[in-house]
Amino acid sequence: MNPRYVLLEAGRQLRNVRSLVFTFVVPIAMLLIFGTAYGANGAIDHALRLPWVVETTVQMGGYGAMMAGLSQAFAIVNERAIGWNRQLRLTPLTGLVYLASKIVAALLIAAVAITAVVLVSVLALHAHLGAAAWFAAGAGLWIGIVPFALIAILIGQFAPPDFAQPLFMVTFLGLSILGGLWVPLSILPAWMSDVARAMPSYWLNRLGQLGAAGSWDVLAPIAVLAAWTVVLAALITWRYRRDAARA
Amino acid sequence: MTAAPPIRLTGLVKRFGPLTAVDGVDLTIERGEVVALLGPNGAGKSTSIDLALGLARPSGGTAELFGGAPRDAVVAGRVGAMLQGGALLPTTTVAESVALVAAAHRHPLPVAEALERAGVTAFAKQKVGRLSGGQLQRARFAVAIVSDPELLILDEPTAAMDVEGRRAFWASMRELTGTGRTVVFATHYLEEADASADRVVMMRRGRVVADGTPAEVKAVVAGRTLAFALRRPVDGFDDRLRALPAVQLVDARADRLRIATTDSDAVLRLVLAERADAHDVEVAARTMDDAFLALTTAPAEESR
Repeated sequence: MNPRYVLLEAGRQLRNVRSLVFTFVVPIAMLLIFGTAYGANGAIDHALRLPWVVETTVQMGGYGAMMAGLSQAFAIVNERAIGWNRQLRLTPLTGLVYLASKIVAALLIAAVAITAVVLVSVLALHAHLGAAAWFAAGAGLWIGIVPFALIAILIGQFAPPDFAQPLFMVTFLGLSILGGLWVPLSILPAWMSDVARAMPSYWLNRLGQLGAAGSWDVLAPIAVLAAWTVVLAALITWRYRRDAARA
Repeated sequence: MTAAPPIRLTGLVKRFGPLTAVDGVDLTIERGEVVALLGPNGAGKSTSIDLALGLARPSGGTAELFGGAPRDAVVAGRVGAMLQGGALLPTTTVAESVALVAAAHRHPLPVAEALERAGVTAFAKQKVGRLSGGQLQRARFAVAIVSDPELLILDEPTAAMDVEGRRAFWASMRELTGTGRTVVFATHYLEEADASADRVVMMRRGRVVADGTPAEVKAVVAGRTLAFALRRPVDGFDDRLRALPAVQLVDARADRLRIATTDSDAVLRLVLAERADAHDVEVAARTMDDAFLALTTAPAEESR
């Protein structure tokens, strides 16, 4: 491991403001729109016993955090296309440390994105929740993005540069909509809730909701997200070994 | 033991499908040499460099750096390189780029020192995407030297630079290499090879076709080709020409003779004086390809 490199890489990404618009600005804008629409007058979702505005905050925090993970695909594909990877291959850095640096960058950016969404929700929409519950919701969303960073790495490994963008869009739209991050599943057709249960984004949202509700019923979301993580990590390692053997 | 040469390529071959990019290269570069790898585009220079650095796997033969696997030399920070298509991230500043690569190395130079040595301090805080062609090459040079390498490999380092930029680049290079570093650079500018290298290796079609001092190479390239036809039989006249010191190559085919020479005036005078039957005389400046040919076939060639 090379902590210095990993931290510098994460910091570099965080300073690259332009590429972070979709991670920071879009979720906050959507929070302001949907939070006002569904959460007016402190309306409560009785199914989850949470105020709608809090649910929307968790959704948008999850969406921003997911983007922090998925956008690593762009970083990887871009760096490969530019030839930055070739430069890094002339250093002791191993490919796995390079990939680890992307996961750490995703976690750092996600932490900022989640915090920003929660702050806007509390300050602008006056969402009401205890500090501990906000923290639990944020922590759930934060740790839950690891599989998304892995999906990004997989796209980075497999996609040829001109195919990366459409593949990314499909992945990102699919995970956002089917996972119920944009619009609450309860207002979508019933069959979509069944599809959602296979999506890591659904369970990411669920983990955040449980945190907000102060519930410890987290076994199912953690199991599903861990399963995604294990399968994705295995695929990445396999592909990485194959690439290394070919070089 | 530190006597192993910085670079040793043995019978190196690289094929891409039906194309053989590198076709049996044997090359040893000793410590402290500054070597120009000269050749036209597609000669196999960049592929040879990739193989030497372990970025590509040879189809045949071996590439060694400092007597071991290229990757070991890379990990130890003993080799730095500016590659074709090895670019910096446009949204990152020069200083950040150097700091990132420094962080990846085990014993790097202080970032400020690498910037200083490469002469990029003045624009270190600029984003890479906003640099001029010449500045970008210097920034890449700063990245290449941040591990304080013993061996520097530069693939067309002055591409996209104007004449002034090129001169400044080589001046700062010389400062760096004064300390016994080994440098290999690829170029297709003969003047650059002549001015900055103490050894020139010429490649064509994946092979080393010549290997000598810049003076040797320049002498050949500076020469001319003289061609003429004879009405009567050649009758040993080609051997008479071969014996002249200024003649490097004589090619007699049917009634036509082609002569590679460094003194076309003297040869022409002799031809006209001794052979009244000479006609259709042509004198032409040597092209790079002629030079390669002359160098590889001339018996006087000194190969190392």
